[in-house]
Amino acid sequence: MDNKYIEKMLSKMDEDLSKQGMSRREAMKLAGLSGAGIFMGTATSVSASEEEKIVKSNAKGKIVIVGGGLAGMSTAARLTLNLDDPDITVIEPEKLSVSYQPGQTLIGAGIWDEDDIAYKRDDFVPDGVKVIKEKAILFNPQENKLTTDKGQVISYDYLIIATGLQLDFERIKGLEEAGRAYSAGDNSKLLKALGDNICSVYTAEGATKTWEIMQKYIDQAKSGKKTQFVFTHPSTPVKCGGAPKKIMYLANARLKEAGARENAELTFYPNGGAMFGVPEYHDAILEQFKREDFKWHYRHNLVEVDKEKKIAVFDSKWQEKGPWDPVMKDFEVIPKHEKIRVPYDFLHITPACIAPREIGESDLGSAKGWVPVNKETLQHIRYENVFSIGDVAQVPMGKTGGSVRKQYKVLVDNLIALMNGKTLEAKYAGYTVCPLITDIGTVMLAEFDWTVKPTPSFPLDPTVERWVFWLMKVYALKPMTMYGMLSGRA
Amino acid sequence: MKKIVLSMLLASIGLVASEGTVPYKSGLLLPPQADKIYEKECTQCHGKDGKSTSFEGSSRVTYAEIAGMDAAEVAKTLKEYRGGVKSKDYQQLNKYGYGAVMRSATADLSWDELDAVAKYVNGLK
Repeated sequence: MDNKYIEKMLSKMDEDLSKQGMSRREAMKLAGLSGAGIFMGTATSVSASEEEKIVKSNAKGKIVIVGGGLAGMSTAARLTLNLDDPDITVIEPEKLSVSYQPGQTLIGAGIWDEDDIAYKRDDFVPDGVKVIKEKAILFNPQENKLTTDKGQVISYDYLIIATGLQLDFERIKGLEEAGRAYSAGDNSKLLKALGDNICSVYTAEGATKTWEIMQKYIDQAKSGKKTQFVFTHPSTPVKCGGAPKKIMYLANARLKEAGARENAELTFYPNGGAMFGVPEYHDAILEQFKREDFKWHYRHNLVEVDKEKKIAVFDSKWQEKGPWDPVMKDFEVIPKHEKIRVPYDFLHITPACIAPREIGESDLGSAKGWVPVNKETLQHIRYENVFSIGDVAQVPMGKTGGSVRKQYKVLVDNLIALMNGKTLEAKYAGYTVCPLITDIGTVMLAEFDWTVKPTPSFPLDPTVERWVFWLMKVYALKPMTMYGMLSGRA
Repeated sequence: MKKIVLSMLLASIGLVASEGTVPYKSGLLLPPQADKIYEKECTQCHGKDGKSTSFEGSSRVTYAEIAGMDAAEVAKTLKEYRGGVKSKDYQQLNKYGYGAVMRSATADLSWDELDAVAKYVNGLK
């Protein structure tokens, strides 16, 4: 970050603070405390975890974890801490699997670069954990076995599915050759298919490319030419539901900084009918959209792109009042939809997210592909020795690293309980968090759970954008994730 | 049809896994293995050599002889069957009434895999 941001941030900080009668030093202390709060969970769990020493369980059994991303590796680390004699194998082919994905939006806006988030799998393997650098492709849960792409048959006593999800670009007409992608690793094929006007921060390489393309169109707007920035949100559950908007806010910030905002039009086309699932945050975001002069059209799902003519085609849905139904004694509601063609200069795609096919088509997957688990205990609904965590688990609203931070402790407690023949008592309450970047220097920390109510960790109004949360997002969350979670402690 | 294809698919997986050879499954972002895809998706109608033009004993069902066809042409046709070549009206290809069958065979394949199969077909003699 250059000085301009820091100065801007500091002056905003002081302005904010003087309103609350606080000094910067006091506030930094609060931020530090907040960081620690985030680091250790809620305030109560800080004291609890300090008081109680971990009693290692002597439970036995071979544990296989499919997928060594943040969820899989953190779980492996925590199991290692909690078991006397752990027998843990992680199956993960991608060498950058533990990369810090929440940083991708920051890369997309030129605040970080790819090196800031690239972390190697092999540097984060807990002591004693075996890593198989292959891909599990066939599952036989009746016999507690799976097969890798190299033909290795691996048996297990307990299985944890943590494969993450895939980004399904190929379902968009015109982008079939892009195929499907994971966020880490080589995505040159994807980037080639997207071309020089379409981008997506959903892959690490794509985030870097997003910043290149964004600069190009900021320059175009600066030269006085009217420039259309279009942002999408698909019809599937997505990884980090805030990212489609974060990148829009950041593009806006960069446009303002370049003095080019008046020549740019920023439009958001979400498939859904609201900005956020939690009414309080929806209202706050809507106000931010109005304040920043964004445009938006609900119920638009991106189905096709014409790269040559630079047109995005959306399937737009609405309902109309139909004729009177004498049996139901009410009017019929007729669902309608049509294709809307939207010209763009800069198009940011949030791809549909799907479970990997090897999971979806196995006995472990549900009809929609995700692994059906008890959403509180994270145990598979059919196979009691199978658990799932992270993006691939069929848990509502749970596709963030923040969810994993709550899930992996629950999973480890429950797995050890199962290994000891006890009942599964740990419960996940659906907590997730979205540090919604609304500008360079401000973040609204949207925390919530299945009650669909804000569940703030701090005694502050959660719908207000704050610089302290920006500091936390940019400086505190990464070390918390990389060194806290991945060691199984945070 | 889908069910038949699916059960064939599952059967073939079972075989492969139990024989202890290196398994392959399309659509998993693995490097394409055209011979295995061809064997699973294509041989039943087109034959191992790509020359079969009918079911044994039934002259009413006829297929194209595909062995040695131009790779680019096959790739384009397969992609059209799968759906998704820039067609204005989203109508998928349905040549000679085989649209549904060809779609079910290609639906799970990525463009990479289709390109590889096309090359394989071109190489059949």
